[in-house]
Amino acid sequence: MNVLGKTLGFSLGMILIFTLVANLLPQVEGEAPVEQKVDLGALTMESYIALGEALFSGKGTCTLCHNAMGRAPDLLVMNVGGAAEKHLEDERYKGKATNIEEYLHESMVDPGAFVVASFGKKGSNDTESPMPAVNKAPIELSEIEINAIIAFLQFKDGNDVTVELPTEAPPVEAAPAAGSAPAPAATAEDAIKKYGCQACHSMLGTESSVGPALDGIGSRQSAEQISLSITDPAAAIAEGFTPGVMPADFAEKMTVKELKMIIDLLLEQR
Amino acid sequence: MSFKRVSKLGRIRSFSAFFGTFLLTLLIIGVVIPGASIAADAGVSDTLEERISPMGRVHVEGDDSFEPAVEAEASEAEEVVPYQMKKPSRSDYPDVGVSSRAIVWVLAQLHLFFGALVLAIPLFVLVIELVGVSTGDERYDSMAQEFMKISLTGFSITAIIGGSLAIALFTLYPDLMAYMTHVFGAQMLVYASLFFFESFFLYTYYYGWNAMRYGNLKWLHLTLGLLLNAAGMTIMVMANSWATFMMAPSGVNEVGQVVGNIWEVMKGPLWNPINLHRFIANIAFGGAVVGAYAAFKFLSTRDPEERAHYDWMGYTSNFIAILSFLPLPFAGYWLMAEIYAYSQQMGITAMGGILAWLFIVQAVLIGTILLAANYYLWAGMSRTEGSERYKPLIKVIAFVLVTCFLVWVTPHTLILSATEIAALGGSHHHLLGPLGIMPAKNIAVNLMLIVTFLSFQLYRRSDKVATVSWAPFGNALMVAIYVVAVANVIFAGVYYGYFTNTVYKVGSSVMQVCSTLVVIVVGITLDAFLFKGAKTLPSYWGKVPDRAQYALFALPVAFTWLMGLMGYVRSSVKTHWHVYTVMKDNSPDNFIPTIGYAGNMITLVTVLFLVMVLFMFWIANLSATKQAKPVASVDGGAA
Amino acid sequence: MNNEKSGGAGSVVLAFVAFGIALAVFYGLDHFIMNIQGLPLNWDLTPAG
Repeated sequence: MNVLGKTLGFSLGMILIFTLVANLLPQVEGEAPVEQKVDLGALTMESYIALGEALFSGKGTCTLCHNAMGRAPDLLVMNVGGAAEKHLEDERYKGKATNIEEYLHESMVDPGAFVVASFGKKGSNDTESPMPAVNKAPIELSEIEINAIIAFLQFKDGNDVTVELPTEAPPVEAAPAAGSAPAPAATAEDAIKKYGCQACHSMLGTESSVGPALDGIGSRQSAEQISLSITDPAAAIAEGFTPGVMPADFAEKMTVKELKMIIDLLLEQR
Repeated sequence: MSFKRVSKLGRIRSFSAFFGTFLLTLLIIGVVIPGASIAADAGVSDTLEERISPMGRVHVEGDDSFEPAVEAEASEAEEVVPYQMKKPSRSDYPDVGVSSRAIVWVLAQLHLFFGALVLAIPLFVLVIELVGVSTGDERYDSMAQEFMKISLTGFSITAIIGGSLAIALFTLYPDLMAYMTHVFGAQMLVYASLFFFESFFLYTYYYGWNAMRYGNLKWLHLTLGLLLNAAGMTIMVMANSWATFMMAPSGVNEVGQVVGNIWEVMKGPLWNPINLHRFIANIAFGGAVVGAYAAFKFLSTRDPEERAHYDWMGYTSNFIAILSFLPLPFAGYWLMAEIYAYSQQMGITAMGGILAWLFIVQAVLIGTILLAANYYLWAGMSRTEGSERYKPLIKVIAFVLVTCFLVWVTPHTLILSATEIAALGGSHHHLLGPLGIMPAKNIAVNLMLIVTFLSFQLYRRSDKVATVSWAPFGNALMVAIYVVAVANVIFAGVYYGYFTNTVYKVGSSVMQVCSTLVVIVVGITLDAFLFKGAKTLPSYWGKVPDRAQYALFALPVAFTWLMGLMGYVRSSVKTHWHVYTVMKDNSPDNFIPTIGYAGNMITLVTVLFLVMVLFMFWIANLSATKQAKPVASVDGGAA
Repeated sequence: MNNEKSGGAGSVVLAFVAFGIALAVFYGLDHFIMNIQGLPLNWDLTPAG
């Protein structure tokens, strides 16, 4: 019995030490896949390019294939801008881009628009690209992140960086509508698209870590709270997020109907 | 006091060699399989697509442009209503008052512990039995039988917990399980039917041991053991496919419809890495647990005969545990590499994100295991007279171990959220920044493995003096291999790790791993030849300090806790998905819990496991206990 | 590892030979391992390419 007591005591003591170590470390809970947060207010072109570089090897998973191992063009070594210019003039090019920036953007969201010779899907005779669209799952880069990578790719070879810094209002999806007066959205989904909510918030199946995730918001907040957060974002800032990132002018821009539709939709997210 | 002198150390050596060869074969399999898949990948760009695309794409609601291509093809081909995966909302999860995840966590982990134990034990029991046959030493046979005896209850416990787990899963996660049942279908029935075979072979193998002990019947018995292992292995890889499907689904499209056959569903990118990793880890775990049994029996008795027996049994268990533990990091490396290849995001979540702190705890656990194992080997040297010559080296090994351990537990650069950075004051460690990043850790881990193998080799050499003519050269070569391997590991880590680009940095870690493997392989091979017909120094089983036995308790405790911890990370990398990228987890527990919470859960499971293992051992001893017949003199007198 | 005193000069030669072999083996290993990963090295082990 003595032996049993001693050995049990020894074993339990070790288990306690391990438990203690686990409890002494920083305690972080993973609400959603958190990676990097961008403070748009404090963003400079240098840090934007640095973000692009980090995304290129990190979240974007670009280096998985774009490396010296020959799975895809080694973008880090070649002059990306020069190659893009040539590809734009190539007769096989079937995309819509007219300049380098647009070409690079297109190559990421629609990789099949131009497949560099010998890098196509096997058997497709270079008509299909093996590359996944980076704005879809699992990579799911946001528009801001895609542009950061374009900025990095332009900068690294000493080419002109034509990408503009993201402003407070996320340019996502709103860009095509620019120029004409925005028509009121017909449905809640359209309204969310129109105001680019998904660029920063994880919601409706898309993901972004710039702002707090809105999945399940309906079970956490009331209609009044949601309404306040849209019309006056600075009123309450979720823990861990930077004030001033979310545009403060939705109260001016949104129609009452759009606001109501968005709130109703968010309340359904339980 | 007289100790039992064991003069037939040649047998032990041949057992070592046998087991070594066995593990080497495993290693080769481990190297060849990924090698083959790399070869298949080389220059073929669409395999990349195969690797990445099975993840599918999330359908964005309201995005009309999105149209799953496969779905379209399927509906063109045949007018069958496609299976609609239910997307559970929070209200679809039954609320039983306690966290559903916690219930499933405890049951699944316990099931895994016992499953690992009862799969591993018959595996090395068969090897030990085979060694007994080939050496003609009956002691091996008896030990193998004893290992089976003490684990027999474990099979029932595994089944009981497994049944409870299934009930818990189907009750608490009905939609997920409905989907899993839909995807795996008949495979689950095959799985269940395999238990009949498992039980049949188990009972015939165990209860037929003495009935089939010699001659041709022995071979029949060995065959039964082989079939038992075959059934067990099949069960394991089938169950693994469920876990890997949830981590990296294959054979289904982005909306969860099954588009491949069952083989394509099972053979996901992570299946084989998990199979190999669990297979090796099971052996190490099983060895460690039966080692604790031997240590307990050793401490409980004063009888020199029994002490000699249980010392030997403990030594063998430790041998099994450590030798299978050494290649484990490499299997883990392969698994991690495949996770990165499948989804960099998943890899980053595991290694560089929220879960990164977990690897500090892992370092503490593995450090404990290595220190305990080394300590046991050093203490075991007192069994032989020939160990004096190696005493000075032990201090060096201890120093290297501790230094490397400290480097390893140094927190490394993490990709952190704003709050985390604020909480820690910067993403780099203030003082030990460069020591914290991966190359330094790779150096540390590889050096720890190399010196542990050195301990191991010294121990095995401690009772022998080589007599072959080329012994001086053999020894010089071994020393040179150690020196150059250590230099190479440090060089690769420092030079490629800090002065070249990322690709070379990652590539150089393979170089380090291979250096370590070369040491192990050359060490085992060279010694096998060097000590052929070697002069054996006297060796005394049972002559080992009592405190050394505590190392045999430290091992299983650390192993168990470590397995629990790795279970936490394996499951957590899926983040808020039941089936990664296919089925979202909308339950109240869809977040990754903190390391502290996980630690408490793991402790709970470990303590439960400990209690159940004690019960298992107690039952094993109960069967050997016979109550003395009450003295009949009173009755007799009355008559 | 052999602490039996053998002939002085002979054992030094042996040590050097063994060391040379080990160096050659690991040098070859480094090149081989990096090459099969598509990461060729120069003769002095610096990255080539």
